[in-house]
Amino acid sequence: MFKILKSLSKSLGGSKPAAEPKSTAKEGSLLDKVNKGAPVAAKVEPSKTPEELCGITPKMPKDEIKAQLKMLFRRYNRSASSLDAKLRGEADQMLDAIVQMREKHFGEI
Amino acid sequence: MAEYVGIDLGTTLSGLAYLKPDGNPEIVPNADGERLTHSVVFFDSHEDVKLVGSAARDGGEPDRTIFQIKRYMDDPEHLVEIDGKKWTPAEISALILSKLKRDCSKICGDITEVVITVPANFNELARKSTIAAAEMAGMKVKRLVNEPTAAAVYYAHSQGVKGRILVFDLGGGTLDTTILDVEGDNIKILTSEGARHLGGSNFDDILLEAYAEQYKKQTGAALYSDERHRRRVLQATEDAKKMLSKLQRVNDTVANDQNSGIARIDLSRDHFEKLIRHMLTRTVFLVEQALDSAKLKTSDIDHVVLVGGSTRIPKVKSMLEKMFGKVPKSCGNVDECVALGAALFAKKSSRIQEVCNASYGTLAMVYNAKTKEEKLMNSIVIPKNTPIPCSRTQVYQTSEDNERVIEVDITQGEDDDAKFVDVIGRLTLDVPPNRPKGCEVAVTFSYDENQRVRALVVDKQSGRSKEVAVTYKGAGVLSDEELKRRSHHLRAMRIE
Repeated sequence: MFKILKSLSKSLGGSKPAAEPKSTAKEGSLLDKVNKGAPVAAKVEPSKTPEELCGITPKMPKDEIKAQLKMLFRRYNRSASSLDAKLRGEADQMLDAIVQMREKHFGEI
Repeated sequence: MAEYVGIDLGTTLSGLAYLKPDGNPEIVPNADGERLTHSVVFFDSHEDVKLVGSAARDGGEPDRTIFQIKRYMDDPEHLVEIDGKKWTPAEISALILSKLKRDCSKICGDITEVVITVPANFNELARKSTIAAAEMAGMKVKRLVNEPTAAAVYYAHSQGVKGRILVFDLGGGTLDTTILDVEGDNIKILTSEGARHLGGSNFDDILLEAYAEQYKKQTGAALYSDERHRRRVLQATEDAKKMLSKLQRVNDTVANDQNSGIARIDLSRDHFEKLIRHMLTRTVFLVEQALDSAKLKTSDIDHVVLVGGSTRIPKVKSMLEKMFGKVPKSCGNVDECVALGAALFAKKSSRIQEVCNASYGTLAMVYNAKTKEEKLMNSIVIPKNTPIPCSRTQVYQTSEDNERVIEVDITQGEDDDAKFVDVIGRLTLDVPPNRPKGCEVAVTFSYDENQRVRALVVDKQSGRSKEVAVTYKGAGVLSDEELKRRSHHLRAMRIE
């Protein structure tokens, strides 16, 4: 497996100032395109149900649901302290959906 | 002079402790006679004075009162404007630290060097801002220590707790769960997981909504129409929350500031616990995440110890008891144990093995020769939970022919998916022309004891290299020069 260095500015075809925190989730960016093939959870949209947001399907086995929710919690809990304000905003909605799914499939605490 | 001093710079409360000659830590009260100081700053409009603590909290002018500034320590753009002057989160925190230093040094002696605690999930920027705040307040930061680590040090010292410990630290603004091995004075951290915006103040906000709903139902009017009144009701809900940790039911009366009548609030513990259930479920997720990170089961944990005022909520205790099958340990002064532990840590830091709280790496196009697929990924160089201080190197290849500048993005975060990590810095290195793609570049990350990261890039062919510490830009981040200037200004301020 080769690992080829790829900075964001080269990926996006523009230059950004060095050492400046910035969004890594710009719509339409190369990042979006690269990741389009394997979405783990749907983009946060108000019209979507918690199941859709968390990528939970009706026939999914319990252990798979559990693993999916754990992965999503780890991802969006981290995103809640991201430097990207948009991602931070999405994270809270996703965390709510993840909690709802846990309570639905595994009961309340 | 106080030799070993620890400060818990909290979201809602801050405290300072020092190590007495007998080796035991003690909380030093502020000049208002309080053991802990509210992390609130009030900018008076009549006199050139900054009030810090309960006087600031009760001041009554919301536009001039700053609450919970700690929540913005990791926001490079956050600024607070008062009378046309813009204050960074580090400066506001410096006012709180100045109050602690000035008040407490009258009792325990001059304070020049301190250990300051931070949430385990504080990122690079927040840690840097905390160090800057202390410097502005005239104190050198000997070490930053994670809050749960400090608390564990205190539990080991005062309660003789040993074995494999899970620290559940639910404070005013954040939740941290840390798993560590304790054997006397020797402590080894295994993992720390944190959640931002998950603490007592979130429960207060939820109760405030319940109050407003009941008020609307009974009077048909809104409970508050401005920030000043909202703050007053919020204090009432905080009091009700505390009472519900002792009583099954609380009765309260509230009125708005428009003479719309009085409403009687009837609140049971059961109802309160239902209201905060979703937040508590998040805490369970985080505990499970910590166990998974350390590859442990609940039965592997010898003791669960409680830290932070919100662990007084009975449901928190019963939830953890159900999960681990044992009663969690509480030292009683759960609000003070972080500061007390920090003072102990100031002396014992060499016997405590900490770990990296986040993964650090770079963005790389990873090519899988088997599947012939390539994908832009977060390529981790230092994985989370690596014992610190540490240094790790990974070798990458350049992507283009005749590449003149090598750019390395420094990422923070565990996710493989580049969308879900932060790019916290970039290092650029000029390299000779006319080289084919595929030249080897070694990227080394070093992580120090204060959880600060440095990056070194070496172009193997030319031998050229460059090293940087991560620096942030943003309206809320001060340059070194500005930091010095504002430190000087701050030391001349009247802070009460």
